[in-house]
Amino acid sequence: MKSLPVRRFKFLAFVAVSALATATLAQQQAKPSTPAAAKAAPAASAPPNFQKTMGNPSAPITMEVFGDFQCPACRAFFESTTKQVIDDYVIPGKVYLVHRDFPLDMHPYARQAARLANAAANFGQFEQIERALYDHQDEWSAKGNIADVIKASFPPAEFNKFLAFANQHMDEINASIERDRAMGTQRNVNQTPTVYITAHGKTEALPGGGVDYKLLKSYFDYLLRQ
Amino acid sequence: MATTAIPSETSPRAAAWPRVLLVIGRVALGAVFLIAAYTKLHFNGSWHFGDYHFFFAMAIDSYNMLPLWAVEIMARTLPILEALIGALLILGIGVRWVAAFTSALLLVFIGAMTRALILHIQIKCGCFGNDEPLTIWTLLRDSTLLVLSLAVTIGAFLVKKRDTASA
Repeated sequence: MKSLPVRRFKFLAFVAVSALATATLAQQQAKPSTPAAAKAAPAASAPPNFQKTMGNPSAPITMEVFGDFQCPACRAFFESTTKQVIDDYVIPGKVYLVHRDFPLDMHPYARQAARLANAAANFGQFEQIERALYDHQDEWSAKGNIADVIKASFPPAEFNKFLAFANQHMDEINASIERDRAMGTQRNVNQTPTVYITAHGKTEALPGGGVDYKLLKSYFDYLLRQ
Repeated sequence: MATTAIPSETSPRAAAWPRVLLVIGRVALGAVFLIAAYTKLHFNGSWHFGDYHFFFAMAIDSYNMLPLWAVEIMARTLPILEALIGALLILGIGVRWVAAFTSALLLVFIGAMTRALILHIQIKCGCFGNDEPLTIWTLLRDSTLLVLSLAVTIGAFLVKKRDTASA
């Protein structure tokens, strides 16, 4: 026959375990609603996301471009090479394209353009703003009237969201640009565009200043055959 | 009958120094070409026998001088050619013709580099690896190599001529 204190202890232990199990179950049931809630929340209250990327992150090849939106060589590279890479390799899921900000000091409006691009990236509009910035580079690079020139490429409400976000999150955006620049400096980037290709666990720097699409294509095809 | 040695116009030591200088010159030039080939085949910490030509083709193409087919042929062959030139110069095989060819090759390189600098094309040199920017200093370095190469070429022809004459 068991004594009364032992029974009382067992009862208390049962109550404690039950309470713990109920709390855990309740927490687990509450968990699936968290991401949905985050998605439903307005972007302004979510943590900023400056992912200036296109394509599938698990693509066999990653192409990182250290670029400056005011640099004519970057525009030439974007127009003649990157656009074709997007169509032929990024959209089919073979290449994951990553933009890294590397605004050069010689270009007075490059940083301003990068801020706007980061703001648009937060709303998943990086590809659109990159196209707009390069397509209209001549128009804004003389006077720095970036917003006036670029706003025509977006619905007004959408573009106003970018501007508001850029103003509200200036420090975070600047920090993001500086992180990219620091990464470039660490990798000895000294001109734009500078392209890095990662495949099969190895990262290779391509000769700086841009690459012809046909040469890049033959390299990609070689990497994909490996 | 006693024979007397014909006194030579120059002492043996004086006659040897052009040959010594020629050996030093051709070995130095050969070493530079071997290093140039090595940096095109070995970079980012590993050998790139299978894909070196992609990177080098991109460097050559940035000069905007050749059609793509010529760029690809040059990218595949030039590092091998540089290694061959280096080996032949160091081993002293066909020095006169190899040095003359090297001088012509350097002249072509210098011409391409000068054109890029005049046109303010900011590119990688492609001389020693794929990451070296083209500057006035790379042009001066290649010009120094051309002087050395011409000296080896002229020296090799003069030594051969003297050897033929003395034989």
